[in-house]
Amino acid sequence: MLDIQDLHAGVDNKEILKGLNLNIKPGEMHAVMGRNGSGKSTLSNVITGREGYYISKGDVRYKNESIIEWSPEQRALAGLFMSFQYPVVMPGVNNTYFLKSALNAKRKHNGKKELDAAGFLKLIKEKLTELDMDTSYLQRAVNDGFSGGEKKRNEVLQMLTLEPELAILDETDSGLDIDALKIIADGVNKYRNSERSFLVITHYQRLLKYIEPDVVHVLIDGKIVRSGGKELAIELEEKGYSWLES
Amino acid sequence: MNISSFQSEFNKIMGRDYFTSDVKPIREQAFNNFLEKGLPNKNWEDWRYTDLKPIKEIDFRLSEISDAPAHNIDVTEFGLNDINTIVIYNGHYQENISSIPNGVRLISLSEYGEQKGWRFNEPQDSPFDLLNTAFMDSGFCLTIDKGIQIDSPIRILSISSTEKNIMVSPRVYIDLGESSSITFIEQYEGNCNEHFLNGSLIIGLKENSRMCHFRIQNNSVDTINIGNIHVKQDEESHYTFNQFAYGSRLGRLNLLTDLNGKGSECFLNGLALTNNGQHIDNHIITSHNAPYCTSSQNFRSVLQDSSSGVFNGRTIVGKGADKTDSNQSNKNLLLSEGALMNSNPQLEIYADDVKCSHGSTTGALDQDALFYIRSRGLDIVSAKALLIRGFVSEMIEPIHHESIQNYIISNFDAWLHENTVQ
Repeated sequence: MLDIQDLHAGVDNKEILKGLNLNIKPGEMHAVMGRNGSGKSTLSNVITGREGYYISKGDVRYKNESIIEWSPEQRALAGLFMSFQYPVVMPGVNNTYFLKSALNAKRKHNGKKELDAAGFLKLIKEKLTELDMDTSYLQRAVNDGFSGGEKKRNEVLQMLTLEPELAILDETDSGLDIDALKIIADGVNKYRNSERSFLVITHYQRLLKYIEPDVVHVLIDGKIVRSGGKELAIELEEKGYSWLES
Repeated sequence: MNISSFQSEFNKIMGRDYFTSDVKPIREQAFNNFLEKGLPNKNWEDWRYTDLKPIKEIDFRLSEISDAPAHNIDVTEFGLNDINTIVIYNGHYQENISSIPNGVRLISLSEYGEQKGWRFNEPQDSPFDLLNTAFMDSGFCLTIDKGIQIDSPIRILSISSTEKNIMVSPRVYIDLGESSSITFIEQYEGNCNEHFLNGSLIIGLKENSRMCHFRIQNNSVDTINIGNIHVKQDEESHYTFNQFAYGSRLGRLNLLTDLNGKGSECFLNGLALTNNGQHIDNHIITSHNAPYCTSSQNFRSVLQDSSSGVFNGRTIVGKGADKTDSNQSNKNLLLSEGALMNSNPQLEIYADDVKCSHGSTTGALDQDALFYIRSRGLDIVSAKALLIRGFVSEMIEPIHHESIQNYIISNFDAWLHENTVQ
């Protein structure tokens, strides 16, 4: 699904990723753990195509195609999705309007008929129930006046609606209380199947109690220094990162 | 237009015998005062960012009888077809296609003058008010008597034709009696070339009256539109102003609101959409002259290409105007490197017990927001359009009147379609 090969990338002439390799197969859930400054955000930004990052070496391949020259929207239409660490507040931009436009762009791209207002409403109401969200959400502006938990729930709602094949969850647990965390983990777990892959980027092991990864990677100074099963996350929680630093 | 061309047009209007002679001394005095002041230039504090070159360079002439339409005109292309409308074409009242709602009394300026013994509110504030008094042509007064609530809106539709170099100086009075209410729309349309429109609108709101005022400025891009609006509010009166300006090469609004009665309130809103070399200047002064009054100024601009704009908002809280609650907000979205906005919100407070706030932001589209939207699969053009729509929707959503709101939305959609570039 996703194959990152010897990736060297950075921002403002500063190399942050220094030869990163990562291979995620369909149906797998991978977690990348690391401290602040280890390159986690750069990794998610480079995969999703945010402007301002350069790639000096290596490749990012999605479904066997190099995507590093693709625009963010091309990647999204091809099935990539990122749940943002800091979802953007957009005053005046209505949630329903935004999400319906995004879904219809994707449906159009996939040769499907665009949904009308009634069709979209039916679909979104099911997803709202799944995430224990109020229908008043539909009238609100995107993330405007949302609590931290509401913002993250909104990200997962967008994921469930847009149905990506590869979802990156960037620090999705930060700022969440335990109830919100469980709801989000439930949503993600129900969405898991043998076709869909996940990349969970996190500082803490907390989320991984609820969303069990197949593989855990430790990112230090722009490189993956160790990979293992879910028990690696527990080990990190107990011992910290320093024992892996050279 | 230099002083001698103003003078020769003034001589012309003084010679027109279909105006009552009572108005002549009023014109004369205003014109002399105008000559004394002269046209503003950039050394005047209130005109620092607005260049009046277009007025100075072109010789405008009075509208003649021959500038009236030869046959009936079709106004359906200007939308809002279900609304009672007073049609003014190149300054000429089109009585046969005009209608007013029940309860509104429409009288000519001469009748109004006679009723008031030719002593009525003559604004002296700016050279353009003086110029309007000197040249006032299409003038009338709308009166809504005490206790009358008019449900259906009334519109003045001002159309400027293809004729060149006309100057039109409409003078309109609107008097609302105690506890009356109305929704009033002034709309500027037409595909003329050079055209100079300088209107003065004087609104009096008696105790507990309510007026909702829309100003749709959709002139051709060769028009100069100067709007001088004076609002005087008595106790507990309520005034809402909503301007939607997308037309004219040079648009200047002077909106002066005096909250003279205890507990009166005014909410002043404006949205300007500009492109190419357009310049739209909003000069808003709200004076709190009594206690317990509420006011807001909420103006936004979206500027494309090398267009420019000014927000000069001043709220003056006079001595004794305690318990004032006022807010000023100006937000501007620059869609191109060449666009320019001058924003100057000001507060002058001479009372002690008040709640006042003001703020101003000017910037380009948020790059993080653009990326966020694109990461959901929408292309860059759609992403920009979505953000601009969001910025503008906060001005359009509060409009209660559905057909007016739909009309504004359709105008905005057309503008957005034209102005969202890759």
